[in-house]
Amino acid sequence: MRIGFRGVLASAVATAVFAALWLNAAPVRAQAGDYTAPRTADGRPDLNGIWQALNTAHYDLEAHSARPALALTAALPRAEQPGLGRSTPVPMPAPEIRALGAAGGVPGGESVVVGGEIPYQPWAAARRDENAARWLERDPEIKCYMPGVPRATYMPYPFQILQGTNEILIAYEFADTTRTIFMSDVGDSPEPTWMGWSRGRWEEDTLVVEVTDLNDRTWFDRAGNFHSDALRVVERYTPMSPYHLMYEATIEDANVFTRPWTIRMPLYRRLETDKRLFDYKCVEYVEQLMYGELGVVDPETGEQND
Amino acid sequence: MSRRTQKLSRAVLVVAAAIITSNTERLPAQEVDDWTLSRTPWGDPDLQGVWRYEGATPLERPDDLAGRATLTDEEIAELARIEAERAANREAGLDGVAVGRSTLDESPIRGNEYNIFWQDHGRARQAYAQTSLIVDPLDGKLPYTDDARIAARRSDARYGVGPYESYLDPDTGERCLTDGVTAIMWQGPNGGHNRIVQSPGFVTILHEEYRDRRIIPVDGREHGSIRQWLGEAVGHWEGDTLVVETINFLDRTNYEWASIWTRASESLHIIERFRRVSETDMEYTITVEDPKTFTRPWTAAVPITRLPDGIQIYEYACHEGNRAMPNLLSAGRVEAGLAPSAN
Amino acid sequence: MRISLIAFVAGSALAASAVQVSAHHAFAAEFDVNRPITLTGTVVELELINPHSWIHLDVTSADGTIERWMIEGGPPNALFRRGFTRAALPIGSEIVVEGFQAKDGSMRANGRDIVFTDGRTPFTGSFGVGPDSR
Repeated sequence: MRIGFRGVLASAVATAVFAALWLNAAPVRAQAGDYTAPRTADGRPDLNGIWQALNTAHYDLEAHSARPALALTAALPRAEQPGLGRSTPVPMPAPEIRALGAAGGVPGGESVVVGGEIPYQPWAAARRDENAARWLERDPEIKCYMPGVPRATYMPYPFQILQGTNEILIAYEFADTTRTIFMSDVGDSPEPTWMGWSRGRWEEDTLVVEVTDLNDRTWFDRAGNFHSDALRVVERYTPMSPYHLMYEATIEDANVFTRPWTIRMPLYRRLETDKRLFDYKCVEYVEQLMYGELGVVDPETGEQND
Repeated sequence: MSRRTQKLSRAVLVVAAAIITSNTERLPAQEVDDWTLSRTPWGDPDLQGVWRYEGATPLERPDDLAGRATLTDEEIAELARIEAERAANREAGLDGVAVGRSTLDESPIRGNEYNIFWQDHGRARQAYAQTSLIVDPLDGKLPYTDDARIAARRSDARYGVGPYESYLDPDTGERCLTDGVTAIMWQGPNGGHNRIVQSPGFVTILHEEYRDRRIIPVDGREHGSIRQWLGEAVGHWEGDTLVVETINFLDRTNYEWASIWTRASESLHIIERFRRVSETDMEYTITVEDPKTFTRPWTAAVPITRLPDGIQIYEYACHEGNRAMPNLLSAGRVEAGLAPSAN
Repeated sequence: MRISLIAFVAGSALAASAVQVSAHHAFAAEFDVNRPITLTGTVVELELINPHSWIHLDVTSADGTIERWMIEGGPPNALFRRGFTRAALPIGSEIVVEGFQAKDGSMRANGRDIVFTDGRTPFTGSFGVGPDSR
């Protein structure tokens, strides 16, 4: 196969533009303003506590209108109806989840992506759309798999920051997942993992965590936003008041995106007295879904599977 | 803590202390003398690090040591020699008898399904004086109720035999749920490693396997009422000893458990005591009370070891990679004649 | 008498179990003890995952066709703690696996004994950063 000069030129230009976009992605920084976080006994900013996001990022990082469900079935066209010009009314929830009614609905929400949209490469944008259409079979959350980073942060469950002397733990309620943030050099991760390998440092009052060695099995939300195993995430947790942190995560994945991009959202302190995380052993909740029909007997019916 | 439990655990502690003393007496005198307990910046005893039970002592006293709570010094030395030799053999790839590279005729399959290198921690097991981790009752045996003993025998008999007709038939560990709280400090399918991290008001124990996690408040709060798989742990300091009481377990006695004695039931009541006695050693005792499984409370005294800095626990994505589940269900269907064999 | 006591300890249940792990993984539910199998093949994929690692192996069958087998191994975390990396079992390695085939007849087996074709075991010994034996 011959590649013409024009092809080479086009490819060189594309590479240069890509590189420029990549390098010029402006870093975004939360400013704590006048607020100074309280200090721990060893003089570090004190982020200890139970926190939770209060937004719709777990449905979709990007701006989205309210709709009846995550998995939708297109309704029949109504073009035949006199006086009704719209060919397709609101799609309806997919049969598998229709019984949830309004409890299965998706509230509208603003984008938490700085700049609004996720800069997908064209093939990846198509994959995201396909993921969204096949949400019920593809979203790892449905199978109770560990959510990955940054998704764990803004799922609708609390998480707890526990500041030890040499490590900081971030304990998430969903799927009983815990990350260890190493604050000293502990070498490299032996293999890619679901929650990655986290190295932390302080930049003034901000806890900065560099997350590497993530596998390609996790998503960013329920809208099919995804990544490859080239993902690297830099998180920034900045205390803004006694009651909230600003969370930022910069996402790099040259296999999937045209440039790094950043999400930003406040996280709120759970103020209930003696609040604690609870076990959420969701494996038990999904075994029937995943394995019910695979055995000799279906535990739901007690009958033999065909 | 109920008065009855208090009285019992005090009596038991006397026995436990006697045995632990005979264990720690083996430490070089200097190590004991020069060591001072380090504290967290906010003043609590510092228990942080990665810990593991590295002893050779089993939970229950072997029948052939009945009536003997401790080994003699010579026996301890002999056991230590055997364990050191084994570790050296593993390192050299010789493996030795019944630990891997032996023929089917030489070793049983159960316990030898895979080469030993997968489970080699690169360290010799420690020889301790005690002949069982259980120090109360004095016979070193689990005080099962009749029903629980039957359940334990039944469970043992069906291990690997089945039937495996649905996802409810493998045990809770094979289902990637948990092996229970009871033995968390001294065993686990990957070797039972625990990382302890302390933050003001909390002691957190991360158990590698099943990523079992216990965030233990030590901030003076009382128990609540919400039942959980791993129960509700609340701790306090008694001098330099961390005391943790765990109640409010969910009832999961209707599931298969790898060990009946670790199963969760609503009446399960656990009291643990953690006391660091040297840079590398912790005295850990656990008293377990559950009328559904035991005729009386029992106590184990477990010497646990702090591993060198740099030893990590790693992510345990069990459910995420649990191919054994669909595979064994598929095997069950072929055996039942519901599906054709693939070849 | 003293010596026999020591021998007694050495032979007792105290010393009998080489590795204290909780009884797990219903091996016999998944694999068939009546179908022992020896496979020689080329490693094409190594998955160091919990609760069991998997080695994907291309095996040339008697009629010359290549069969892709999946070999179940132990969990990887102890290996990680001893400093193991996947470089110890590179893709393309020739290995011999002794084990038992899956009960459903598919091309899966447990790797009861895994060795390189020259007899070395891939994961034995120190990898340089693990703790010293005590």
